[in-house]
Amino acid sequence: MSDSEATAAEGPEVQDASPAEMPDSSSPDNATDVAPTRKARRRPEVAPAAEAEERPKAEEQPPKASSESTVAQGGWGYWGSWGKSILSTATATVATVGQGLTQAIEKAETSLGIPSPTELSAQVEEEEKQQGEAGSETDKAAADGSTAVGGAMGMLSSLTSVVQSTGKTVITGGLDALEFIGKKTMDVIAEGDPGFKKTKGLMIRNSTLSQVLREAKEREELQTAETESSDSEKKVVAHYGMLFDEFQGLSHLEALEILSRESESKVKSVLTTLSGDELVQLREELEDIKDSFSLVEFDDEEVDERKDGDGNEFERELTKALEGLNVSTTADKLSKACKSVNGQISDMTQPGKEEEESEEVEKKTLSVEEVHAAAIRSLAELTARSIELFHKLAEMILFSNGRTEAGVLSQLTVVLCKEISLLSKKFTSCLTTAGSNEKGDVLNPLITGVFLEASNSASYIQDAFQLLMPILEISHIQRRAESTEQ
Amino acid sequence: MAYAYLFKYIIIGDTGVGKSCLLLQFTDKRFQPVHDLTIGVEFGARMITIDGKQIKLQIWDTAGQESFRSITRSYYRGAAGALLVYDITRRDTFNHLTTWLEDARQHSNSNMVIMLIGNKSDLESRREVKKEEGEAFAREHGLIFMETSAKTASNVEEAFINTAKEIYEKIQEGVFDINNEANGIKIGPQHPTTNSTLTGSQGGQQAGGGCC
Repeated sequence: MSDSEATAAEGPEVQDASPAEMPDSSSPDNATDVAPTRKARRRPEVAPAAEAEERPKAEEQPPKASSESTVAQGGWGYWGSWGKSILSTATATVATVGQGLTQAIEKAETSLGIPSPTELSAQVEEEEKQQGEAGSETDKAAADGSTAVGGAMGMLSSLTSVVQSTGKTVITGGLDALEFIGKKTMDVIAEGDPGFKKTKGLMIRNSTLSQVLREAKEREELQTAETESSDSEKKVVAHYGMLFDEFQGLSHLEALEILSRESESKVKSVLTTLSGDELVQLREELEDIKDSFSLVEFDDEEVDERKDGDGNEFERELTKALEGLNVSTTADKLSKACKSVNGQISDMTQPGKEEEESEEVEKKTLSVEEVHAAAIRSLAELTARSIELFHKLAEMILFSNGRTEAGVLSQLTVVLCKEISLLSKKFTSCLTTAGSNEKGDVLNPLITGVFLEASNSASYIQDAFQLLMPILEISHIQRRAESTEQ
Repeated sequence: MAYAYLFKYIIIGDTGVGKSCLLLQFTDKRFQPVHDLTIGVEFGARMITIDGKQIKLQIWDTAGQESFRSITRSYYRGAAGALLVYDITRRDTFNHLTTWLEDARQHSNSNMVIMLIGNKSDLESRREVKKEEGEAFAREHGLIFMETSAKTASNVEEAFINTAKEIYEKIQEGVFDINNEANGIKIGPQHPTTNSTLTGSQGGQQAGGGCC
């Protein structure tokens, strides 16, 4: 069964979850285009967990499977299948409408009729009853109902209310869910992109992250053009992809991908020239390098919000991580960008408080749209600068051929992701403050948007980190060759 | 800011000939006499109009230093245009052109449009390479030629835009396969129609045609 069929087959499942509506998934052109690009998006080999579980699942599912039978068959819980069906439907939506990332999610929110958290938890209980003999996976899913599912809910429909009532814990949970969904969304966009076909066969990898991003950005541009013509009164609209490109994030990513790809093929060709013990030994050494790339935990649980009000802490950590790597100019750019973002945030929080105290007149400080735009812009800039930093690191590693430890790079990645997470939290709390008088349906999509882009930012940074692996490998091989020559 | 085409350019040539300054003049319309050495590659982008069509130039400004050569070569591939720059006040930068040209031809696609640029034309008193020499070299190797000054902005626009015109003509003549991104050309997002679903499927058909 082809992937496109699987996608279509899952349509009814969503309706099961919520009979409200179905997006128009009847686009034959796109449906045929989807199949070959399913696996187009390159993901680092080290993070296959989500996909490994996802893909076979999609292929296994018979058409018209009910959610119950799906769960029983897959045997890994309600959350999994539910998440899958939402995502598949999002695929259809994206493919059909061809909208950008943010739009896709908003579309998902407004049109998919995601069940409310209460409905959903009720369903979870029902599920639990229905599969009494289900394994520990399911039990866990049910037990986690309020966190796992609630977190996902927050992302798709009502994050704010959850945030307001339960605070940060849920945000973190929501961010994890977002990260998952954000990554899937990129896949989904890749799927819906017919342009991938034409590069097929020309490159070692059929698609690259920068291509995916470029496509997403173009959709946003298109969307903007449409919005401008049809709805001129629409206020500040922030487009992450366009901003990311404006800060040259895409170009740096593309260049980094080129270096990574070339290094990878060089490593391969070196390996073919070796044999016997020599080969075994080199393979082992390369394995070590690979390991240090796969064992990294990008845990953002530890982020302490009070710390680092002005970005100094970040700068300190950044400097520490980059010691001796010779990329000070680029690192400075990143530090400066980070400081200016922190400056913006404190400007947003300080005057707001004063005004509330003085009088309760609806004197405007910053609208929620403006805060949102600032947040998206900041995330796009910091991510672009981070990618630039990785690109420069790659060049310096290849250039100097000095010894660079993967551990240093992973530490850097952790620092960057932590900062992104921290800033997104600060921005959403600004949003919540600025939007205290707004209705949920105004505020929620904005908050969701910030979290979504923050999670995407973290994904891009982590992907860029992974792109450094072949570069360290070839650098290792070259250093090795030099030392034997001498 | 939708564009009809995106062209990838590379700027190559010896260190210190003014590659980054040309780019800065073109993208920001300013001149910076002291410039940091470029590491690897830096980027610039600008929108131009040719034949009433918006074209986005995505410019890869490479490091001129010999020691970076093995890295910068990696970036040649997939460029639609190249600006090969020498300094009219330094004969050696002109003498190295052959090496640069061989390098460029070897590592990029054969249809790449190459513009030879003799930069620093404002420094007439220190000129070491006659304009005629540049013209002759260009003629011999099938390049377009211009003398520019990143400082005074003389001919800078023209250099970038004429290169784009040449690429655009090649597209019209069918020399470039625009569906092949290895040629450094990308078709912009489809123009919005009344129905975005329609736009999506049009894109699908078009790409489908150019596939395999």
